[in-house]
Amino acid sequence: MTAALANISALVLLMTVTAYSVAGGVDFGAGIWDLLAGRGKQANEARALIDHAMAPVWEANNVWLVFSIVVCWTGFPLLFQSVFASLYPLFSLALLGVILRGVFFAFRHIASGSRMERASSLVFGISSVITPFFFAATLGAIASGRVGVGGPTLSVWDACVSPMSISFGLVALAATAFSGASFLVGDARRYGIPEMVDYFRRRAVVATFVLVAFGTLGLITIGFEAPRLLSSMIGGLGTPFVLATMVLTPAVGYLLWRRRFFWYRVLTVGAVSSLVLAWGLAQAPHVLPETLTVSQAAAPVATHIALLVVTAALVVLVAPALGLLVYFDQRSALESTK
Amino acid sequence: MMRSVVRLATLLAADALLPSRIQMAFTLAYHILLVPFGVALPFYTLLMEGIGVFRRDPIALRIARRWSVVMAVQFAVGAVTGTILSFEFGILWPKMLGRFGAAFGLGFAIEGIAFFLEAIFIGIYLYGWRRLPPRIHFVLGLVLIPAGLLGAFGVLSANSWMNTPGGVTMDASGQLINVDALAALFTRALPYEFWHFVIAIYLTAGFFVASIYAVAWLRGRRDHYQRLAFAIPFTVAALLAPVEVVVGDLSARGLVTDQPTKFAAMEINWKTQSHVPEIIGGLLTDSGKVVLGIVIPSVDSILVGYSPDAVAPGLSSFAPDARPTTIEANITHLAFDLMVGLGSAGAALAAWYFFVLVRRRDLPQSRWFYRFAALAGVGAYVALESGWVTTEVGRQPWIVYNAMRVSDAVTSAPAAYVWTMLTVLVVVYAVIGITFVTLVLKLSAQWRRDDLAVLAEPPEEGVPYGPRPATFEAK
Repeated sequence: MTAALANISALVLLMTVTAYSVAGGVDFGAGIWDLLAGRGKQANEARALIDHAMAPVWEANNVWLVFSIVVCWTGFPLLFQSVFASLYPLFSLALLGVILRGVFFAFRHIASGSRMERASSLVFGISSVITPFFFAATLGAIASGRVGVGGPTLSVWDACVSPMSISFGLVALAATAFSGASFLVGDARRYGIPEMVDYFRRRAVVATFVLVAFGTLGLITIGFEAPRLLSSMIGGLGTPFVLATMVLTPAVGYLLWRRRFFWYRVLTVGAVSSLVLAWGLAQAPHVLPETLTVSQAAAPVATHIALLVVTAALVVLVAPALGLLVYFDQRSALESTK
Repeated sequence: MMRSVVRLATLLAADALLPSRIQMAFTLAYHILLVPFGVALPFYTLLMEGIGVFRRDPIALRIARRWSVVMAVQFAVGAVTGTILSFEFGILWPKMLGRFGAAFGLGFAIEGIAFFLEAIFIGIYLYGWRRLPPRIHFVLGLVLIPAGLLGAFGVLSANSWMNTPGGVTMDASGQLINVDALAALFTRALPYEFWHFVIAIYLTAGFFVASIYAVAWLRGRRDHYQRLAFAIPFTVAALLAPVEVVVGDLSARGLVTDQPTKFAAMEINWKTQSHVPEIIGGLLTDSGKVVLGIVIPSVDSILVGYSPDAVAPGLSSFAPDARPTTIEANITHLAFDLMVGLGSAGAALAAWYFFVLVRRRDLPQSRWFYRFAALAGVGAYVALESGWVTTEVGRQPWIVYNAMRVSDAVTSAPAAYVWTMLTVLVVVYAVIGITFVTLVLKLSAQWRRDDLAVLAEPPEEGVPYGPRPATFEAK
């Protein structure tokens, strides 16, 4: 009973991390392209599109982050304590990105005067790189088995900095740039701006190649640092998702390259979520590889029942609301007042 | 001199406890500045929008729309500073969450749902002004009010749990073995903490918004726009001000049994006895004497039990390592006095307002009234922050009252690391604050110019940049 409930909570935790990677990832990707846009007329058009597309939804997307943290410390207090005790520098850097990104995106919105707007854009862009890199690096550090139970067993530096934490960070950057570009193609089509469709289509194709390259590099580092994890990725629970992401990522690239504008956004969501699930399920039943299992880290049973109730309430209350937001957004009923 | 500097430096570098406490206090105090705007400003904005939509008042609509622009930016700042706080639990206090997360965390799970609803509906509300039909826009916006209250409930449930922990069973080693979720969510302190805080933020948002238009009145603006934007929030805040005095009194009474050390610190009462005087201002010394301050005989006892014979708790009845230090007690006491003083002043201002409103059937016309109303915004904020100082410093040395000390929860990160992080956060938060204020001031100047342009409708002749009338040339 307890074990089953704890497994459900663990799945909820993994799903919220996945949801943040997908929904937040699209926004990070938009920020990365904003940073790389440079100057000129085309860059301004791209930024206006990014602004338009992100403004109504980015705050809702960011809530997944808070929710995953809350599920972690409530459902798996020991995991939460262990991860933060070893990896606090990575979290601090990611957090710095979270603050600057959110705030300066909002500032850019009401800034009058081009200097203030440019400065805000720059801060927003740079922090869009910092945040996903360091959040994903924490997952890489967890997967590498460098997080001690209850407190650090290695020096904090060694726990944080490893080939795996770096390669997870790079994969996250590529994946967010990939999903960001793919969704911006959709936004440009929705607003009817053909030049921007092409602009982001080209970038999506480039990002596909980068993601495939970094993904391969990621698998190699996993093979060196955490061979057990790799074996359950290629012959265990994670396998279907490894295969899914290996098929779906190039599929999105191909569709956009050939201008086949159907299914590409659904497949993008599939590719990015499979990436996260491939890691998460390959690690099961461990939350810290080889040292801490789901049931060892789990809170008492009543907490999991309460979490289940909260999750049900989330589905009942938030899902329709989120649906309404996406519905209005996709029908262009939401528009910046600037 | 040199030696004391070195000693100070070693002291600061030795322990992460001090910088962790400062960082938590700083980021929380900052976040609290945004809470009245996140939770209560939507209510005032929607009230204004309701007037605009249902009484067909275009000025009210313009006000609502402008308030919502400020709401948007401050919601973004509030959302990220709130996110920082949740991560700080892990970065600064990992052991508290490791031990008690299963119970303490539940309130935040509820807050998570509320945060989702707020973020979604604020997106719809802010960006739906132009394209959504007015009534639908208004009705969808209404969701923000219960969502904000639900979020406040979640956070206050967690804070109440720290003050009066409940719903947990621990084994001999202090390991949590069972949780009663409902008992952990609804602890003894929750009813009074919730109402005291919720009324406080509605009050603060109302007084603060109104204070901007009180300044406008003092500068000579007397149109429908100014009257509406002042009167609506001020009236609501003024209705709440006396209620808050009563709720605040009930909260203080709750502490007598729930957290006697906090109550004793608030009153800087040293000995548990009857006929305890109330001390206004004043400082407690290490030997338990009170210096300075106005002493009113027996009033503390009367506050505790409606009688001079009532026994009030004193600090000396508790072990020194289980009660606030003298410095902490003095901070708690002065913050408490400041809050009570400002709260009473707010209630007096409210009485003045309603007296004039009932007798003259019009808004006050006295410059002094508007001067005080202009101060009420800042005053409400200072009261809110001092109330928070009272409850947090008054709980010391506990992070979970009578169950875990702050020093047992703190991170094992080196002190230098936490000092660095604190410094970076102070700089970043300062930049955010300055930029935010600058941008809002620019916006408001822009709006004033827009309004003046509308007021000064160009007359037939003498348009500043238009073709000059023939009479001009004749002269």
